[in-house]
Amino acid sequence: MTGLGTAVREFLLAFADDEHLMGQQHTEWIGVAPFLEEDLAFSSIAQDELGHAAALYAIVAGDGDPVDDDLRIDELAFRPSPGDWRSAQLVEVAAGDWAHALVRHWLYDAAEQLRWEQVAQSSLAPLAEAAARAEREERYHRRHADGLLDVLLPVPDSGERLQTALADLLPLAVGLFDPVAGEVEAVANGVASAPFDTRLDEWTDRVRRRFDVDPSQIQPAPPTGRLERHPDFGPMLVRMREVMDLDPAAVW
Amino acid sequence: MRRYEVFLKKDGRDEFRHAGSLDAPDDELALVLARESYARRAEGDRLWLVDREHVILGDPEFISPNADKPHRHNDGKAIAEHRRNVREGGS
Repeated sequence: MTGLGTAVREFLLAFADDEHLMGQQHTEWIGVAPFLEEDLAFSSIAQDELGHAAALYAIVAGDGDPVDDDLRIDELAFRPSPGDWRSAQLVEVAAGDWAHALVRHWLYDAAEQLRWEQVAQSSLAPLAEAAARAEREERYHRRHADGLLDVLLPVPDSGERLQTALADLLPLAVGLFDPVAGEVEAVANGVASAPFDTRLDEWTDRVRRRFDVDPSQIQPAPPTGRLERHPDFGPMLVRMREVMDLDPAAVW
Repeated sequence: MRRYEVFLKKDGRDEFRHAGSLDAPDDELALVLARESYARRAEGDRLWLVDREHVILGDPEFISPNADKPHRHNDGKAIAEHRRNVREGGS
């Protein structure tokens, strides 16, 4: 493959940004998850998502041929201007409590499975390889989220908190499926097999079965084309860049 | 929460070894959480989880009468000496 082209680059960047911010959000529970074993499991999942993001950024940074260069990956991963990001609002919003973190983890990973499937046979070989590796890890993520929900949903107190979190997050979660810039070209080039919103019904059905709620009754947040950041994004970007901004010229 | 005992086995002929214990609400979550608590660096490739309630206990009172039976600690020295004596025509 000679060069990704601007459109495919945008398409990959949106995926990478989602993975990056999902990982970042999960890492913020390190040390404060509800119990020690969960702390370890959840931070492992965070690490996996950051790994997926790094793999995708490496493809973008190398223009289709993954680079093994942390500085070039960081340059993409920590873009200083919020307007340059292509993330979905679901991964930008702050999780107020553990119920929100857990529900988002389930909603995101249910969509992520379908998203990797869209590129599992990609004409871009490094992307297909990343998809195969990601799916091996994602099986664990889904089992983890489902295991916790199996235990917590039937309990009145925790069940209620989870349903509240679901009502808060569903409108943003549906936004994961909004067409992203470059998707049309990515599908035309065989980078992805079909537009992601062709999988929305399948995801909706999984949500319905899992939470016993009809997501079609939930109004999706107005599509932003991923050009508008959620108000929680700014403070998170500051946290993410905190060390880097101390000395932008530092060599690690 | 239930308490589980975690055993790990490395590839090959190694035996399962006790790795530690774990709190989890049910068997499925115990398995999910044990993987990242005890095998996050692939410390083993097989895992046993035992609900502590299913562990049958032998307490010290039951075991300790065997603590003063030195005759069961045959290190072979006495027999080796005896056989050497016989070989050399001694008693």
